[in-house]
Amino acid sequence: MSRWFLWFLLAPQVWLLAGLWRDAGLPPFDMGALACLFLAFFAERHAVPWLLLGLAIGRAMVDEAMLPVQILVLGVPVGFLLPLRTLFFSQRWLWQAFAAALCAVAIPHLAGVCGRLFEQPSATAQMDGITVVWSAVLLPPLLLLLRALPPFRAFVEPA
Amino acid sequence: MRKKPPAFPVGLYGMLLFALCWLTFRGVFAPIERVLVGGCCSITRLWAGLFGTPALAATEPATERLSAAADLDRRLRDHAVPINGDRWLSECVAVHCAVVAVSRRGGGGEMCELRLDHTYAELAGCRDFVTKGESLVGFLPRPGDAAASDDEPDDMARVLLANHPLARALHGELDTADGGRLRVVVRAAATVDPAPLKVDLWDDPYRAARLDRGGLRVLSREVSASESLLPGGLLLGTTRIWGYPRTAGGDALTLGVFIAPAIAPRALSHVVLWRRRTATTLPEGSDEATTRRRGRSMAAMVHELPGATNGRHLLVGAADVVDGAAVLQDGYLLGTARGLAFGVGLVTSFAASRQRWTLIWLPDDGALSPIELHAEVIATDGDRVVLRRLAASVPGANLHPTAGHLFTGSNGLHCPSGLWIGRVSPHPLDFDKFVVDVQVERGQRAVAVLSGGGK
Repeated sequence: MSRWFLWFLLAPQVWLLAGLWRDAGLPPFDMGALACLFLAFFAERHAVPWLLLGLAIGRAMVDEAMLPVQILVLGVPVGFLLPLRTLFFSQRWLWQAFAAALCAVAIPHLAGVCGRLFEQPSATAQMDGITVVWSAVLLPPLLLLLRALPPFRAFVEPA
Repeated sequence: MRKKPPAFPVGLYGMLLFALCWLTFRGVFAPIERVLVGGCCSITRLWAGLFGTPALAATEPATERLSAAADLDRRLRDHAVPINGDRWLSECVAVHCAVVAVSRRGGGGEMCELRLDHTYAELAGCRDFVTKGESLVGFLPRPGDAAASDDEPDDMARVLLANHPLARALHGELDTADGGRLRVVVRAAATVDPAPLKVDLWDDPYRAARLDRGGLRVLSREVSASESLLPGGLLLGTTRIWGYPRTAGGDALTLGVFIAPAIAPRALSHVVLWRRRTATTLPEGSDEATTRRRGRSMAAMVHELPGATNGRHLLVGAADVVDGAAVLQDGYLLGTARGLAFGVGLVTSFAASRQRWTLIWLPDDGALSPIELHAEVIATDGDRVVLRRLAASVPGANLHPTAGHLFTGSNGLHCPSGLWIGRVSPHPLDFDKFVVDVQVERGQRAVAVLSGGGK
């Protein structure tokens, strides 16, 4: 129970940490892609829907669109990647970099599509090539770090 | 024995399905969202206070903004009434109303219904047609009519545009290129038609069939026997020809004539109704002196969220903030708010928002009329915002004006028109774009949150 409390307390705040990272002038990466990779490859399978909710709440703080749009924007890539978990599980750097770039491209497009469909436009619907490249470079090591930190550590599925 | 995990994440797909239901029935799930995101922002509130400095008091530019807002009000009133001196004009006084909502698709797939900031009771004694400049906008139904069957006199009045399926037929006339004049009956077109209105009947179908050029102005015609009692000379729109163009071997073949109205409903901020001078006692609340609505203002504070280059702010101290409420800082529009539980809210700045805005461009040249626009932000670079025009209330008229001030138009009940946004100028390369220089300040600031509307 306490891990869930910690999750909903701390996990949404990672979006603000990512904002601080960007404000500090560090290379930009797509926090949504990091969240998707964690949920798809490392999180406990049965817990994924509720973990997704916590992360979507965090994204709703920094993004203009409504909470259900955030659930769709993060959840659809996870839904595609989750069945591929056996391929990506453990720290396979190259595959993870590829998946990170894929997510960094897909998430803005999904945000754009959802924005048009549900009249919930947001600034995150614009893809940035630099962010895609840095996401591919930074997300595999950041995933390694994330899995060692609370509250994410408590939801990592044993290999 | 360890159970093999399922290949497909049923729980996740269930959550995605739930999100779709949420988006379909937004009103039902809105309280859940307010509590979930509000709870999360309550934690953020603790460390958001670490950022920024207190706000400054009003400065000299604020005085300039107030002066520009007063100028906007005057020029909106001056240009909102027809300039020709028909008899009916002298018998009536103008009642300026703000548009608070646009809804329902009608002829040509365009919006066909407006909601005004006045109630039916406040508009008692007004004639039933609504104008904008020299153009006809639509008609005011009575509460209980077929188009307003559920409305009560205390409800905000709706206006049926000419392309509404229940709108009445209009009598009109147009001057042809050969110097003649054709009389027509105009009705709402179908949703799939290429324009909102179509010509239904002609007084001379033979001559009408030889019309091969669009762009002719169609004006209303006063018909004494008609139930509408619409005055003549109001602009209904311009013609669009539907058919086959002239070829080398033969004449053009006109299959139908459609009419594109001069006003774009989404760009409308204000319309004018006409009250007969004989209606001596004005209903309470029917103040005609200003185009600006008064609402409730609440003091609050905004804190920057980390990564605030995205233009997201935490709003603290304003209880019961409604979604879409305008947030003002030092006399200019900071953005619109989303209300959450636990006394917090979120604000998206104008520069960071990607919603579509109804705006008013007030050119510096005092002789030019204000332009009502429907536009969206497409790019932001620091304090410079690029917008793309989607529609204008009077197409083709003065759409590339000189620099000026940009104000909000009517963006719903809680974001009234006349809020200063920034200095605006035409885009140097693209006719459909324009550039706005907005105020960008950092840190914790005092703001005012507007809510409510109506006079």
